[in-house]
Amino acid sequence: MEKPSATGGNPSSAPKQELTEQQKPQHQLQIFQNSLPKVSQIVYMMLLNEVVPLSVAVEEKRDDFSSKLEEESDEVTQTEEQLQRLHINPPLDSPSHQLCRNLYEADEEKHNRVLDRLRSIGFQIGNKVTQLLVFSNNPNLQFKDMDLLSVMKFICRDVWKQMFNKQVDNLKTNHRGIFYLFDYEYPPIQSFGLDSESSEKELQMVKPFLEVAVGVIKGVLASLGYNSEDVICLASYVDRPEEKPKTSFGKGVSFHVQVTVQ
Amino acid sequence: MFLLVNFASLENTKCTFDEISRTKISLLMAIYSFWIFDKHCNCIFDREWTLLSNSSSGTINSKQNEETAKLLYGMIYSLRSVTQKLSKEGTNNEVRSISIGKFRIHTYCTASGLWFVLLSDYKQASYSHVLQYIHSHIYVKYVTRNLLSPYDFAENKNETRGQGFRKINNRNFISTLESFLAPMILQ
Repeated sequence: MEKPSATGGNPSSAPKQELTEQQKPQHQLQIFQNSLPKVSQIVYMMLLNEVVPLSVAVEEKRDDFSSKLEEESDEVTQTEEQLQRLHINPPLDSPSHQLCRNLYEADEEKHNRVLDRLRSIGFQIGNKVTQLLVFSNNPNLQFKDMDLLSVMKFICRDVWKQMFNKQVDNLKTNHRGIFYLFDYEYPPIQSFGLDSESSEKELQMVKPFLEVAVGVIKGVLASLGYNSEDVICLASYVDRPEEKPKTSFGKGVSFHVQVTVQ
Repeated sequence: MFLLVNFASLENTKCTFDEISRTKISLLMAIYSFWIFDKHCNCIFDREWTLLSNSSSGTINSKQNEETAKLLYGMIYSLRSVTQKLSKEGTNNEVRSISIGKFRIHTYCTASGLWFVLLSDYKQASYSHVLQYIHSHIYVKYVTRNLLSPYDFAENKNETRGQGFRKINNRNFISTLESFLAPMILQ
């Protein structure tokens, strides 16, 4: 087992068979990670992406329902409608690609409602992921005296590793509460693509898939004591640097995080 | 034997893209066209190379190939049903390749009803690993896992039973497939 490089003590002075103070939590982390149930990365990623069509479908059903409530006029149509709603096999939602297209074509208001829903789903995930990572007893995490920068490092390193099996590629800050998290290969969207001629449309259609991660960042910050009102988090596309190998999705993702500290 | 060893490592996905391509160049084989059919008897992708030794020539998803696609589908379909009848109870007897005077047809059918069909010359007996690779590493990656693309290319009842017209136009799928198959067009 490797010792973390940041530790001060002389490793040779410690007896070989006994675990040192630093090695103990490392060992515990190893045991914890081995005890975690393993799931398929692909299935998990698909579920995470399927959140977007789900939110669109929920929004559409809600619209249908509220418009039906307004239409309710006389007894006869009401019972007829109730009969229509009675299905032995309820009809399936439209396929996911259709729902994604609906979102692209939806008006501003509905679009924003769907994005809000996605962010709040991400927020819940982020809240709980922090809990899990605190529980994991990782020796690299010192939550006692964490400043904002180390919280952001925690997001870049541990949260991203837990959720996407990779770390954020680049973190930039002005040391006054503004951070940029660059991920040049944001994993959930790597397989996405449309026909060759519609790259602008493609970027617009993929954009909602970034909102879950926005929610996750906010959720993690909220669970570590930064209220979501004080945090602004936005996702946008950035060009990939030259030296990075070419992937199927042409753009990198940048998360702009702004925290107002009182 | 040489081929077998190379493709065995391919299945572990340790083998990089370049290595597979180089293997193919060393064998000097030629392919003529590539087709995908879905479970609704529709041709959802076709690619025909007209000039040998030029990987960019030919047509993609062309209207002219519609009739050829139907004939090809019909031939494989009937041969499949013949072989199903000839096989003993309980064993599945799939058509792997059909050799005709001028060329050879290689087929790979999945349980989900997709048919991957490759027309080639006589230089190599089996392309089943190539077709399997196309299914698992290109089709699944860029069509199945892509939420922006449909997974069922017949959107309503009228487009089933060979009446569909939708094709795979996904840019990632086409470009990856092109670069994967390009070395095989060498004559």
